Amino acid sequence: MITAEKLNSYITKIPPAPQALRDTLHLLNLGDLTKAAKVANEDLALSSYLKNLMRKPIYGFKNDVSDISQIFGILGVAGSQQAVYNYMISLLSPSKWVLFKLNATAFHNLQAELSVNWKKILTHLAIYDKDIQSAITLLPASFIIAEALFSEKIEDVKLLRSVSAIDLNTILKRLCGMDLFDICEKISQKWEMQESIAKIVQAASGVKPQEDNNINTLGKWMHLLLFYTLSKSSYIEAGLNDFIDFQVEYVMDIYDDFSSVIEVS
Amino acid sequence: MRAMVKDGIGIFSPQGFLDGNNGNFFLSIEDIEATIKLKVDMILVSLKKVVFFNRNGLDAFVKMLLKVRAANHATVGFCDFDHKKFEAISRFYENDLNFSLFKTQEIASLFASSFKNQSKNVLIYSEDKSQRAAMAIELHDNGHNPIVAQSEAEYHQKSKAENTYDVIIDNTYLGVMGQKVATRVTGNAIIYTVSSFLDAEIGNTFNIAYHNNSLNVGFRLFIFDAYKVVSMNVHALNFFSKLASSGAEYNAAICFVGLTFEKTPIAFKETLEDAGMLFFDHMDDILQNKELLHELGASSAATVKNKRAINKAIVTELPNFIDATVATIEMMTNATANKETAKVCTIEVADKENKIASSIGFYGDIDGMVVLVFPLAIAKKACALLIGEDTDDKEQVLDTLAELVNIVGGKIKTLLADEKISVNITLPRTYTDVDGLLEVIHDKKGVQLDLKFDDDKFLFFLTR
Repeated sequence: MITAEKLNSYITKIPPAPQALRDTLHLLNLGDLTKAAKVANEDLALSSYLKNLMRKPIYGFKNDVSDISQIFGILGVAGSQQAVYNYMISLLSPSKWVLFKLNATAFHNLQAELSVNWKKILTHLAIYDKDIQSAITLLPASFIIAEALFSEKIEDVKLLRSVSAIDLNTILKRLCGMDLFDICEKISQKWEMQESIAKIVQAASGVKPQEDNNINTLGKWMHLLLFYTLSKSSYIEAGLNDFIDFQVEYVMDIYDDFSSVIEVS
Repeated sequence: MRAMVKDGIGIFSPQGFLDGNNGNFFLSIEDIEATIKLKVDMILVSLKKVVFFNRNGLDAFVKMLLKVRAANHATVGFCDFDHKKFEAISRFYENDLNFSLFKTQEIASLFASSFKNQSKNVLIYSEDKSQRAAMAIELHDNGHNPIVAQSEAEYHQKSKAENTYDVIIDNTYLGVMGQKVATRVTGNAIIYTVSSFLDAEIGNTFNIAYHNNSLNVGFRLFIFDAYKVVSMNVHALNFFSKLASSGAEYNAAICFVGLTFEKTPIAFKETLEDAGMLFFDHMDDILQNKELLHELGASSAATVKNKRAINKAIVTELPNFIDATVATIEMMTNATANKETAKVCTIEVADKENKIASSIGFYGDIDGMVVLVFPLAIAKKACALLIGEDTDDKEQVLDTLAELVNIVGGKIKTLLADEKISVNITLPRTYTDVDGLLEVIHDKKGVQLDLKFDDDKFLFFLTR
């Protein structure tokens, strides 16, 4: 169905991050929001993405914010880095989704919802590290990878799943020895993201605990946030709810805190 | 979302949060229709991977469950929950809890007609006295040994005893139980469960096409689990007499187990015995008697007068059958298939050692069966994706092989549907060795194709 060769070819084809984005991220790392905004403004696709992002209801701005330096100012260094990473991940998304019923807008909404709620969680945990804040941006890459690898095999996947409770992540792992989150890690390496980002996302798979307990705790919160988000009607309809296995026991000890932070009714 | 069917139980497994906003989105109209069409005797919604739910979230599933029960009399309910969730559901549906709640799937399987293992020692506790009694009766009917704890204190005391009980049941509630002609396979016997009053309606509820095709696939032992039958009238008598006569053509044995003649005329028994029907008091009289089981269920060459020849309609669709098989094995092994020789003949297996086989029948616009003969090593390889690891447990490989053949059957159904040919598939039958298979199909002509996956060979045979 999916061979190791196909997987390797997919990984090889992941493009390096464009120069303008690398420069923007470098300047954001130095904390120079003004210069970063200037560079970002030159990349029309990025600036358009950022302007649209600000229009998402989840950010709750009443007036249109269209100046990039103003956007970076509102988001701060960590939020701006997160937004740029979100944009980078969205570059990998297909023009037409087949496996999941998504489109560019729905995918951007998903990114925005995850990012805003992840920030709430980190505020609750009193974590202000910008790389940890950006870690959430890598998570949606797993949908893109699943889409790319399984879209031609929808019928096979349906048949397989009609006889066995097996999720896409497990199918990939059993066939190729590498799962969706391993590929996320490869992307993060290619794009020179901080190592901790990939580790948190690996822990968020719910099946690969890391050595560092702090990372595992963040992974738990991210796993629960992922399933909270994927339980929304639009993502259930999109077919995202069961693309990986939800590990309920893994997150039970943080559930009460989570429901009060995210205000689960 | 579709239900996954295992051992006659269809399970839905929603994940995450279940509330009024999303409950309806887990199930489409097509999902509900597909569920109604399933040949299962229990449909459950597993809450194992649900971290939060409220009444509105459950309602969407409850509506679907009640619809399914109304249409096909299956037992329906929820399973896989802890005490907190059990209390919550009981509270939500306090006055209209008309579906069942099973703490685990294992507990549910004890109440399903498709249970595989009998004679389990089961400790039961429920606060509700009538529930305790209802569970004990159902379990007893299903061949288990229920022990009822009459109080919570007794339950706690008894449940501490190690190795005394195979299963301990609490946080479980029996709603309206299903009453359908359920089908299950034990070894190579097909067991139909019938209950209450058997009358002319049996002709509608019994799937005769399925039965005939099971005969054709090679099943030879059919058992009617009739413990719960109250009585039978002359219409049902006629139906079973005809069934027995038609089975005789295949050397099939059809048995009744647990049928009492308190309210059914004893003359009916004699009539059915004359037609070749066998009667036993207990299921164990057959299932635990290996010699008898072998004698009754042994694959035997059918002395069918009208031998069904492979016909043009099937041969025309041969590419679809081969494609479905090749695509499935390729999917499961990631190996590329090469077709070697194809010929019309009776099946020829060169080396019978260390080979296992499986067959699946299809019926509808066209009918016939696909037989696959694998070297054990390839079967293991092909099943690794489903099992997740290497195994030397032959029974597990055979079970998984049945699932694989089910996938092949499903693919055939889809490919034929694309050409507007509608077929249904039977349960797959597995053979631990080639001799068992040959006893059923040695004289059937069909199309034999040798396939090669990397260096491994296996055999595909299409016949009627």
